[in-house]
Amino acid sequence: MNLLRRWSPWALLLLALAGLIGPRLTGDAEEIVAPPFARPLWLDRSAPPNRHLLLSTKDLEASLDWQWGPPAGFALTGTYRLPEGASARLSWTGPEGSLVLAELTGAGGRFALDGRDIAFRLRLGLSPFQSPLERLFPEPGPYRLRYEGTTPPEELAADLHLSGGRWGLLGTDQRGRDVFRLFLAGIFVSLLIGLAATLLAALLGTTAGLLGGYLGGAVDGALMRLADLLLALPLLPILMVLAGLWGRGLWQLILILGLFSWMGTARTVRALTLSLREAPFVENLRALGAPTWYILGRHLLPEALPVLLATVTLGVPGAILAEAGLAFLGLSDPRLLSWGRMLHEAHSFGAFTAGAWWILLPPGLGIVTVCLAFLDLGRFLEEKADPRLREETP
Amino acid sequence: MTYWSRRLLGALTVLFFVLTLNFALFRLMPGDPVASLIDPRFSPESKEALRKAYGLDRPQAEQFLLYLKRTVTFDFGLSFISGRPVWQELRNRLPHTVALTGSALALSGLIGTFLGVTAARRRGGLLERATLTAGALSFSFPSFFLQLLLLLLLAVFWPLFPLRGSVSVPAPQGAALIADYLHHLALPVISLVLLSFGSWALYVRNLMVKILGSEPLFLARAKGLPESILLWRHAFRTALPPLLTLVLLSLPGLLSGAVITETVFSLHGVGRFLLESIQGQDYPAAGGAFYLLALVTVASNLLADAAYGMADPRIRFERERRR
Amino acid sequence: MIAVEGLRLDYRTGIRRVRALDGVDLVLRRAATTAIVGESGSGKSSLVTALLRLLPPGASLSGKITVEGRNIMSLSEKELSASYRWTTVSLVLQGAMNAFTPVLTLGRQIAEVLEVHRRLSRTEAMGKAAALLEETGLPRSWTARYPHELSGGQKQRAAIAMALACDPLYLLADEPTTALDVITQAEIVTLLKGLTRWRGLGLVLVTHDLALASAVADRLVVLQAGRVVDEGPTERLLDAPGHGHTTSLLEALKTLEASDHD
Ligand SMILES: Nc1ncnc2c1ncn2[C@@H]1O[C@H](COP(=O)(O)OP(=O)(O)OP(=O)(O)O)[C@@H](O)[C@H]1O
Ligand SMILES: [Mg+2]
Repeated sequence: MNLLRRWSPWALLLLALAGLIGPRLTGDAEEIVAPPFARPLWLDRSAPPNRHLLLSTKDLEASLDWQWGPPAGFALTGTYRLPEGASARLSWTGPEGSLVLAELTGAGGRFALDGRDIAFRLRLGLSPFQSPLERLFPEPGPYRLRYEGTTPPEELAADLHLSGGRWGLLGTDQRGRDVFRLFLAGIFVSLLIGLAATLLAALLGTTAGLLGGYLGGAVDGALMRLADLLLALPLLPILMVLAGLWGRGLWQLILILGLFSWMGTARTVRALTLSLREAPFVENLRALGAPTWYILGRHLLPEALPVLLATVTLGVPGAILAEAGLAFLGLSDPRLLSWGRMLHEAHSFGAFTAGAWWILLPPGLGIVTVCLAFLDLGRFLEEKADPRLREETP
Repeated sequence: MTYWSRRLLGALTVLFFVLTLNFALFRLMPGDPVASLIDPRFSPESKEALRKAYGLDRPQAEQFLLYLKRTVTFDFGLSFISGRPVWQELRNRLPHTVALTGSALALSGLIGTFLGVTAARRRGGLLERATLTAGALSFSFPSFFLQLLLLLLLAVFWPLFPLRGSVSVPAPQGAALIADYLHHLALPVISLVLLSFGSWALYVRNLMVKILGSEPLFLARAKGLPESILLWRHAFRTALPPLLTLVLLSLPGLLSGAVITETVFSLHGVGRFLLESIQGQDYPAAGGAFYLLALVTVASNLLADAAYGMADPRIRFERERRR
Repeated sequence: MIAVEGLRLDYRTGIRRVRALDGVDLVLRRAATTAIVGESGSGKSSLVTALLRLLPPGASLSGKITVEGRNIMSLSEKELSASYRWTTVSLVLQGAMNAFTPVLTLGRQIAEVLEVHRRLSRTEAMGKAAALLEETGLPRSWTARYPHELSGGQKQRAAIAMALACDPLYLLADEPTTALDVITQAEIVTLLKGLTRWRGLGLVLVTHDLALASAVADRLVVLQAGRVVDEGPTERLLDAPGHGHTTSLLEALKTLEASDHD
């Protein structure tokens, strides 16, 4: 089949699969995984990576060779249980000496330290506004996290999370969310809104086109005037006003986009219906007394279907771009993770001053790819529906 | 009915539709209609006074007529955010939006036409392939994505242009102000030109290829006319009327683009005013801005249509005969 | 004298090649009116196009064309435009085709050849254009008209005026009367014949209408599948066709006339 030799169906299939399965494999996109604006892992090897040091009842010591500047975050969490009367501490030993991170007292409990806590800073002898990371990582070299106590603990589980300035495939955004996960989550929204809005528009357009073309007269006049009217107006401001007033959820967006993009389809279907209306087989049906809906549904619609399919496919990029535009303007539901939303946040929350291009490129290129794929597919369907086009394309 | 009175009637219908939509959208929302027209922070007494002043105590039909009358005289009420008349705010911003879209349209039209004509003349060349690619890309490139990339490259990594605003703060005086304004306008205009010259070039190229292969051009070649006359006087003049139609068709999109462009570059203009009004639930301002954008579109449609008639004698003939 | 030797023309569309002219040898004299006849697709228009060396991209032309002793095949595109096309050989196309540029006035389109080839000023050229229109039987003021404002016959008159503008030595007319009604056809042919004879220029009339050809032309050239199959003075060819194809063309004409008389 010719279709399978084109790139677009494969690209769309791959994206759709990634959008369906990806989020399940990679985890919650909203989760904050690393400091804001962490660079992609492959980008900058001089920035510190993300590391965990783990202590357990059996391993009371863990060490690492730190070859970078201070990490962006330092968080120690865990639980412990000590024998009666024992006392212990967790210490941090580096090339320049040793620090006590936490005193473990009583029979047991949990501990949670974070480099951002003021109490922690004060305990290290710093002012509340000084970052403790310079103190904890004065220079590259071997570092050791150790349990020191009068007796071994009955139970210990500690996790020291050193968050670096690097994360994952595509780094993190301004809140420390994984850009790759956000990108995967955005596939779903873009494709869903693009397809659903276009299908709605196709439904409306086909109905209007069939009715107008077949019935003619006042119905046709009114429908076509309405189409002209909507085509003469700037679309985005209308969508903005509607999204601003009606709400910004997924289904509202689909409805709004669908209601304002049926005009092209209506014109195409109408033209086709007009040309078919006079066809002998339709005249015969009419003479036989077939009801209007029967002629429309059983005979005109199937004739119009190939052209319709192409029109719908070619319409998807428009809907996707419109959704992305609204989301970029901040007029979509903030909980709706879409590519447009990612660009909105990149623009509004300092991705520029951070020079964080890795937040910008994935959603943008995602939109371009999906649109190009649908255009390619649409051209293919168009040629199928009307072979004459093939010779005109250069 | 003459051609022009029909066209004018059509334009008025569009405007009437916009006004009705505006009226219905902002008033027939769930909840207290007053809440969407009068600043909720006002005291009950002043609310009551305003309610009277806006005629909100009258029946809907009468309100509609009153609304029509006010809108036609550009009385959109007071902005909730600034407290000043909406029209004053809009009038202040309109020239900036016109400067942005006008210069972008003119530049992309000129560049696109030149490239399209050249590509049509040298079929199969590198330029033609580049034109075709640029045209295809421009249909699937979100404007804001390109603009963000340009900002990142040319305002952050390599700071040739300012990152935001229509003028520097504090603004310079005299001639320096104009230079500063143009400096701020440059990147937005460049981005819009980059976004649209491709589709222009593509359209011009396709049109010119068709015309260059047509009978009149064959005869013009047989007449031994120099290449430049063939190309510009015969072929391009024939292509001009449909090109003007393209201007007509691209205007609504261009104004939509202005909203996004003004947002990305934080420019002072009607588009960003509309967005800020919607975000700030400043309904009188949003309604006014929306109406103004629609009005500009309709008016420029009429203008482009007039130009179309002037460029094509066949159309002029048709229009006069149909009187 | 236009002398054509071994003219061969191939069109290329996609991967297909069409041989439109397959070794044409021909002599066209200024003093005579020559009609080139042949059925549809025999290569008549291709021959006319080749004589002006106006070929679509992808077409290849070989052979010899000599006009008044000048080797046309060796001229560059620039030289062809500057000193051959329209000044030596001009062209009238089929009437039904909209051969005029629709957005320019008739005056403009006639005057421009005078401006380019005769270096006249705009006003002089316009004056001459008006005179030419008058000569072909149209009002002088019609220089301000656009092509769509004229009927088919009027358009052909204007086209003839344009073809005569630079006093060429030869006028090629490719089906000048097709798609016109019979009366207008006769008028246009008479006009063409009269003006060319009066100005002493060679008329080459291309037509698939043998009746018209035999009524107007001194000499006939019969084309079939890109080859000249018969050639000679009209009388001789009609009385004693030198080729079977001419005979069959004549037969077709006779049956046509016979059915007309019914
Ligand atoms: N531009 C072209 N490209 C490819 N083939 C062409 C082209 N022009 C003509 N041909 C082919 O060349 C052959 C001769 O065509 P031509 O137009 O010269 O015939 P003609 O005698 O003028 O016919 P008619 O009486 O129909 O005008 C035909 O087979 C035609 O299909
Ligand atoms: Mg022909």
